[in-house]
Amino acid sequence: MITNKEIAAYTLDALKKAGADHAQCIVSTDKVDEFNVDGGEFSLLRTLFNSSIVMKALKDGKKGVISANKLDKESIDKAVQECIAAAESSVSDEAESIAPKIKNGDFVSGVMTPDKEKLFDRLQEYLADLKTDYPKIILEQLISKYIHSECVFMNTNGVEYTYTYGNYDISTMFSAHEGEKSSSFNGYYAKFDSLDKKLMDIGMQRTLYAESEKQIDTRPINGKFVGKVIITPACLAEILAIAFGNFISDPTIIDGTSPWKSMLGKQVASDKLSIYTKPLDERVVCGERFTGEGFMSENMEIIKDGVLKNFILSNYGSRKTGFPRALNLSQNLFVDPGDISLNDMIKNVERGIILNRFSGGQPGTNGDFSGVAKNSFLIENGEITNALSETMISGNLASMLKNIIGISSETVCDGLTVLPYILFDGITISGK
Amino acid sequence: MLEDRISYFKALLHEHTELRAQVNTKRRVTLLNGNLVNNMRSNESGVSARVYKGGVYGFASSAEYTDEKIKAVLAAAEENAKFMDSRVKKNKPMFPTVGTGKKELLHTVRDVEQKVFIDFAKDLDEYITKKYPNLASRTVTVYTDSMEKLLVVSDGFDSHSLMPRSYIYLFLTANTNDGSTVELFKPIGGFGYFDENFSNPDALYEDIDQLYSDLMKKAEGVYCDAGYKDVVMHPNLAGILAHEAVGHTVEADLVLGGSVAAHNLGKQVASELVTMVDFAHTALGETAPLPVYVDDEGTPAEDAVLIKDGILTGYMNNRETAQHFGMKPQGNARAYLFSDEPLIRMRNTAILPGKDKLEDMIAAIDDGYYLTDTNNGQADTTGEFMFGVCMGYEIKNGKLGRAIRDTTISGVAFEMLKTVDMLSDDMVWLSSGFCGKKQPMPVGMGGPAVKCKVNIGGR
Repeated sequence: MITNKEIAAYTLDALKKAGADHAQCIVSTDKVDEFNVDGGEFSLLRTLFNSSIVMKALKDGKKGVISANKLDKESIDKAVQECIAAAESSVSDEAESIAPKIKNGDFVSGVMTPDKEKLFDRLQEYLADLKTDYPKIILEQLISKYIHSECVFMNTNGVEYTYTYGNYDISTMFSAHEGEKSSSFNGYYAKFDSLDKKLMDIGMQRTLYAESEKQIDTRPINGKFVGKVIITPACLAEILAIAFGNFISDPTIIDGTSPWKSMLGKQVASDKLSIYTKPLDERVVCGERFTGEGFMSENMEIIKDGVLKNFILSNYGSRKTGFPRALNLSQNLFVDPGDISLNDMIKNVERGIILNRFSGGQPGTNGDFSGVAKNSFLIENGEITNALSETMISGNLASMLKNIIGISSETVCDGLTVLPYILFDGITISGK
Repeated sequence: MLEDRISYFKALLHEHTELRAQVNTKRRVTLLNGNLVNNMRSNESGVSARVYKGGVYGFASSAEYTDEKIKAVLAAAEENAKFMDSRVKKNKPMFPTVGTGKKELLHTVRDVEQKVFIDFAKDLDEYITKKYPNLASRTVTVYTDSMEKLLVVSDGFDSHSLMPRSYIYLFLTANTNDGSTVELFKPIGGFGYFDENFSNPDALYEDIDQLYSDLMKKAEGVYCDAGYKDVVMHPNLAGILAHEAVGHTVEADLVLGGSVAAHNLGKQVASELVTMVDFAHTALGETAPLPVYVDDEGTPAEDAVLIKDGILTGYMNNRETAQHFGMKPQGNARAYLFSDEPLIRMRNTAILPGKDKLEDMIAAIDDGYYLTDTNNGQADTTGEFMFGVCMGYEIKNGKLGRAIRDTTISGVAFEMLKTVDMLSDDMVWLSSGFCGKKQPMPVGMGGPAVKCKVNIGGR
C-alpha cells in the first residue's frame, strides 16, 4: 500500500470482511516545518512527518471508532479487529449511519511548494518590526509553520474525497512591559497562503500590539454597574463559539437542555445580527472541503437578521433529533458588518468597556457567564479613558445576543473568520 | 510494551541530544441520556529526536518506528539545529551535566477492553435513570489515557516510564423553577489503569447521590453578589489556585516571556502561612498523584520549592533556563506526544496544609462564600488569575447559607496570597484534567482549604 487511497480502500475492505455492515475511513499524511520563538528569540525548528487513520465501523447499528497513526498493513489489521470489537461491545442506535454517495470530489487548495528560507526571513523581519514599532512588547512565544497535508475520505457507500492543501500560519503570545509593570498577555492566530507581504500586517496584530502597550498602566473599576460592552473581532469568535456550543450543538439539542431547542425559524438575536459559517469563502485559507462524516462542505446561514436558521448538528445529531445537519464543520464564522464605524460606536457609549479577551468560567447551558475582562479599556462619555485590571463582567449569552446596539462597518479577517466589532448592552461590569 | 530500538543509537548521540520513542493511548466512552455518543480508542506512537546547538534546538519526528526512521529523525533534527544555529548564531555553551544513569519501568504496560468501559458506564447510567428520573440530562463518560516513553540522551539519565490514568466523569443537568437549567460535574479516578481504580460500579453510587444532592441545592441557588469578598476555598480549589495563580507565573520560560515572577524572586509574595511545592514523585511521604522520575531532557526529577513561608524561592526550569538563571534543573521538561518537544511543565503542584479546621474557617466569615468546586481556570503574566466556580454556598454570620449558581473568581496572585489567613490541616489531590500550554499535559494539583479574599463575579 503506497497511497492514502489504497490504504483507505484496504481498510474498508478489511472492516467489511471482519463483519462491518457499513464503514468509513479517513487517512491523512502531512509534513510540518515549524519555527518557534521563545522570549523574543528563535529557539527551535521542528520537522514532523505525521500520519493518521480514523476508521468507523457499524455492525448491527452499533458503532466503533479507532484512531491511530500507523499506516502499515499489520497495524491496520490490528486496528480493524479493535474497531469491530469496540462496535460489538457498543449500544445499537438507529441514528448511526454513514454518508450516502452524492458526488465525489478531488480538491486542492493553497501553497504546494513551501519556502522555508523565506518564511524564516519573514519571521526575522517580524521580530525586527516588533522591536522597532512596538518596543514595549515581549514576545513570550511565536510559532509559525508550513503544513502540507494529503487527506482521503472513503466509505462503503462509495463516497470518495481527496483534499491536498498547504498553508502557513502564525500564533503569538505577548505582553507589554515597562520596568516592573506589565500588561496582561494576549495572543493571536492567523492562517495565510502567501509570503508576499509582511507577517506583521496580517489580521489585527498591529492593533493588538499597540493596545497592549497602552495596557501597562491599568485601573480597576470602582463598584458595579450595568453597561455597554464592545466585543472585538478577536474576542467575538470565542464568545460566539461558546454560545453555539451551548445552544445549537449536538449535546444540548440531543438532550433537549438548549434554551434554543424550539427556536429554529424564530428570533433569537437582534435583527442587526447575521452569522454564517463559510469554509468555501475565498478569504478562508484552505477551508475544509468535506466533513468527518463524509458530506461535501457548503457555506451555511446560522442566524439571518436575528432569526435562527440552522443548528450546527452532526449527521448523527440530525438523525437523532430530526433537525437538519450542519453543512460544514462550523469553523469559519462570518458576521455581516453593520453601518457604524468603530469610532462612532465608541462615541455612543456613555459608560462601558471594550473587551479584547474574556477569561472566564465555562458558561452553563443556560448561557449565564462571568469572567475577567482582559486587555480591555474603560469608555466614559464616548471616550476611551484607561486600561482595566481586576474587572469582571457577567450576563447571559442568549440575552446579550438580543441586546445589540450596533455592529461596526469594519471587519477583520484572520484567514479563518471575518468578524466585526459588536456593541452589546446590559452587561454587569464590576470591580473591587 | 514499547520495543527498545533506540538504546542501540545512544553511542551516536552527541552535544545534547534526546532520542525518544513513545506511545499515547486514549479510550473514551460517553453515554448521553443512554445514547452511546462516543466509543473511541486511539493509539498514537512514534519516535523523535531533539538536538541542541549553540542555543537553539532542531527537532524531528516520525510515526514510523524503525531503525531507518530513527536514523532519519536524528539526521533531520541535526540538520534543523544546524540551520537554526547558522541563521541565529547565539553561540551559547553546552549545558552543565545532570549526572548519568537509567530509570527502569515501575508499572506494567497493558490494556483494557472497550467492553469493560461500556458495561461500567451503562451500569452507572441505569442507576442514575432509575433513581433520579427527573433529571433534565445525564452524561457518563469513561476516559483513560496512558503515556509510555523510552528515552535515551547523550548526557543525562535514560528512562522507561509509564503514566496511565483512568477517570469517570459524571455530568448531571437539572431544570430550575425559573425555567432555566443548572449543571454539575464530578471527576472520579486517578493514576492507574481502569480496572485498578474501578472494580465495581456500586462503589460510585454514593458519589452519584452526593452529586445529585448538590445539584438540587444548586437548582435552588442564588447568584453571587459581585465584588471583593471573603471566601473559604474548599481543598478542591486549592490545587487550581496553586497551578493557575502561581504555578504558571514561575515557569521559567514564562518568566523570560515577561511574567510577574521575574521581579519577585526572594520577595514576600504570600502570607507566611503559604508554602508551595511542585512535587516530582513523592509528596508528604506518599507517591504523588502523577509521579515523574526523569524528565524528557534526561534530568532526574526532584521537588521544586516555589514558595517557602510566603517567600518566592524558585522557578521551574528546563536545562536551558536553569543555565540562564543559574539554577538547578529539577526535571520539569516534559513532552506530551512523541512528536512534541519537551516544555517546562508542572508535575504535582500543591499548597501545603496548615493547622486550621474547616469549620473554624467558615465560622470566621461574617459575609462571604464557601466555594467547593471548580471547572476551569486561567492565569496571566501579571499574576491575575481566574477560575470558574460551579458549586458553593453563601456564608452569613459564620454559617453556611444558600447554594450559589455558577460564578467566576479572580485576583492578582501575589496580592491575593497575602490575604490568606487560615489553611486547613487536610488536603485534596486532583489529577483528572490537562494543563494547556503549547501542548496538553496531565498534571497533579492539590492543597488544603484556604481562607482569603477574592473578586467574585455575579449580578
